Amino acid sequence: MMTTDLLIAVILDGIFAAVAAIGFAVISNPPRKAIPVCAILAAVGHGLRYFLINHLGLDISTASLFAAFSIGLLSLWFADRIHCPAEVFAFPSLLPMIPGMFAYKTILGLMKFLTDTTGAGQTPEAIAGILRNGLTTLFVLFALVLGVALPILLFHKRSYMMTRLFRPERRNRARAAQ
Amino acid sequence: MTSTRPHIHEVSDLLLDFAVSLMGAGTHTSRVARNVSRIASSFGYGIDIIIFQKTVMMTVTHLEDNNVRHTSVKKIKPTALNFSTISELSRLSWEVYDGHLSIPEIRSRYNRIVKTPRMSRWAVLGLVACANAAFCRLFTGDLVAMGIVFMATLIAFYVRQEMMNRHANHLVMFVVCSFIASMIAGLTAFTWNIGTATPQIALGTSVLFLIPGVPLINAIIDLLEGFVLAGTSRMINACMLIVAIAMGLSLSLLVLGIDKL
Repeated sequence: MMTTDLLIAVILDGIFAAVAAIGFAVISNPPRKAIPVCAILAAVGHGLRYFLINHLGLDISTASLFAAFSIGLLSLWFADRIHCPAEVFAFPSLLPMIPGMFAYKTILGLMKFLTDTTGAGQTPEAIAGILRNGLTTLFVLFALVLGVALPILLFHKRSYMMTRLFRPERRNRARAAQ
Repeated sequence: MTSTRPHIHEVSDLLLDFAVSLMGAGTHTSRVARNVSRIASSFGYGIDIIIFQKTVMMTVTHLEDNNVRHTSVKKIKPTALNFSTISELSRLSWEVYDGHLSIPEIRSRYNRIVKTPRMSRWAVLGLVACANAAFCRLFTGDLVAMGIVFMATLIAFYVRQEMMNRHANHLVMFVVCSFIASMIAGLTAFTWNIGTATPQIALGTSVLFLIPGVPLINAIIDLLEGFVLAGTSRMINACMLIVAIAMGLSLSLLVLGIDKL
């Protein structure tokens, strides 16, 4: 059952993810009108992931896949309306879910393992930690991109034309037939 | 359509500029190829294109006469990510395709798009600091930890902007910024012992604004779409930046004598 506590936690998670997405998005100078969309998508995606991990007990990469899939679907819907390529707001809204901490912890773990002069830290657990962080980074990254790309692949033809202002469908069909 | 076909050199120059700007702005490889071939086809030319991390190579071929062809190469200048440019150039490419604009007209619109000023750097600075503080909250950091991360990001991102303006080597830039951010977070959270219950999280999230998210996403997209070479080079580039971040961070851990993160 969904309790109020959980609901509040999910909504708060979404709000903070939206703030994070806006900030990380403006580094890559998105179109003005895409920024609010980024915030909405990031809130939905990250909130969903929080719910899946904390309530349904999914692991982080599977949860990321579903979250990214929802972002991908919504981004196609928005792209059709404001005539931007879907990736212009789909990518920034993924940014709060990028496994940055896992990524640099992998490298930190490697450095620590290598520079340990006493040999006391060179344990199987250290290797397991490095592997776990590294694989999580890789799998979450692939899950995020696959999840976002899946709706775009499913509606392949349409998504390429999101930035097209007027669509002379008939003329195109005639041209393709020639 | 074919009576006023522009000279192949003109088309080739335009397409190369287009491809280079799109790559510099941070698009994945297949969109660049699609946009450019869309424009070429509106002038009755076909293209074959190779895109590397630092160069674009393109052969433009007359669709009816294969003897008319032109190959040229252009360097990709390292520029900052710019999604507005991607969006506008992509739209322009469709307008060319649908409306058959002339070369000078495309040129002038292209120049206008490329020269559009970016968002004010101070607004970006403030928003990035807020974003990283919010990110700290997502990792269950408390309010004081958020404040620490806000300050650390504000200063480190300012340094990053200054270094970018001076065209510093970007690996050096990442090491320095990661060192500054983690040093500020580490000093306030551990050494001066400001009352936060989550000093580890403050230190750990203070460098996360540097993570090259967009290049990582582009790398995976290229790999999935079969542009394995381009995807691999993007991936290695991004990984080197992450190593640089880890180096800066471990340097502050060493200086501050913090053992466990």
